[in-house]
Amino acid sequence: MEIQNLVGLVPWTFVFQICNLLLQMYLIKRFLFKPINDIVAKRKAAADAQIQDAVKAKEEAQSMKAEYEQNMQEAKTKANDILTTAQKTATVQSEEILREASRQAATIKEKAESDIAQEKRKAVNEIKDEIGSMAVEIAGKVLEREIREEDHTKLIDDFISNVGEGV
Amino acid sequence: MEVDITGARVFFTIHTNIPILGDLQISETLVVSWLVLILITGLCIWLTRDLKTENISKRQAVAEMLVETANNFVIGNMGESFRYFVPFVAALFSTSVVSNLISLVGLRSPTADLSTEAAWAVIVFILITRQKIKTGGVGGYLKGFTQPIPVLTPFNILSELATPVSMACRHFGNILSGIVINALIYAALAVASSALLGLIPGIVGRVLAQIPILDFGIPAILSVYFDWFTGVMQAYIFCMLTTLYIANAAEA
Repeated sequence: MEIQNLVGLVPWTFVFQICNLLLQMYLIKRFLFKPINDIVAKRKAAADAQIQDAVKAKEEAQSMKAEYEQNMQEAKTKANDILTTAQKTATVQSEEILREASRQAATIKEKAESDIAQEKRKAVNEIKDEIGSMAVEIAGKVLEREIREEDHTKLIDDFISNVGEGV
Repeated sequence: MEVDITGARVFFTIHTNIPILGDLQISETLVVSWLVLILITGLCIWLTRDLKTENISKRQAVAEMLVETANNFVIGNMGESFRYFVPFVAALFSTSVVSNLISLVGLRSPTADLSTEAAWAVIVFILITRQKIKTGGVGGYLKGFTQPIPVLTPFNILSELATPVSMACRHFGNILSGIVINALIYAALAVASSALLGLIPGIVGRVLAQIPILDFGIPAILSVYFDWFTGVMQAYIFCMLTTLYIANAAEA
């Protein structure tokens, strides 16, 4: 079997080794780097998509939170408004009720006073009549004669009205 | 005791009669080189089987780590703009390492043939020159030889040519020296064991003296340095120099 020199350049070996290295470069690129780079790129894309989703979800959550807070704020304001209005209404109503009550009381008092006055007048009139007839009777008895009531009514009335003013 | 260290055996010769190239000799170097090529490619295909984006297998993790390491090495030494060099450097490194270490299974390393390293070094030299021309133009490249003074032109040309020669010879020398030292160790230990066991008197000693018992185990320990360390180191140095020279050529 032929044996090459231990140290020496063999042209064909040299050429073949250049081809081998270039072929090896292509094969490594094709069978290691390409698939790995592809899969890494795919993973990166997936991770990016997930991050984007997360960001979107966070934004949504924040907008929802903002909306919720706004709603809460509105509700609180509304509640305060309602409360204030209710208080105001209550105050107004109570004042009105009070006013109404006092007016009614005044009316009742007035009516009572007028009733009293009327009763008084009636009573006075009755008494006046009574006293008049009594006076006529007494005078008749005193004079022992019939006094004509009509003749003296005027006199008696004057007297009674003087008396009435004295009451 | 004779120690015989030879070049690559030639399995068969094809007569081509092409000038300069001569006859095509299919040598051990070429056969083992093709084996290395198939091994590395097979490993790549096996590593990248059913890749997934998540919940990856250990195999895929190793493949991704290898790619990442190659990327870091090349981009770290040369910069991001040289990303397209990654497959070349990876091929150079893997071929070199596997070629160096294949001697552990008893085959002859393709890197124990100067033609192999010369081929690689010439490719690297072409890449360096291409990068220099790309950076400074043909004029700038030629003018670079007259720097800093025209008198130095011959020395500059010499140093330019010395780059591939030194790269090839460094790698080849280390691997060859490993082979030589291994052969010497085997031979020396065989002599030593025969002398040692020959001390046993009678027929027992004569029989045992024929068995090189010291050759068992001891060379394996020494091979950790001469094969493993040197093999990986030379591949690393070769790739490191390749990246640095090309990156330098881009700066000039």
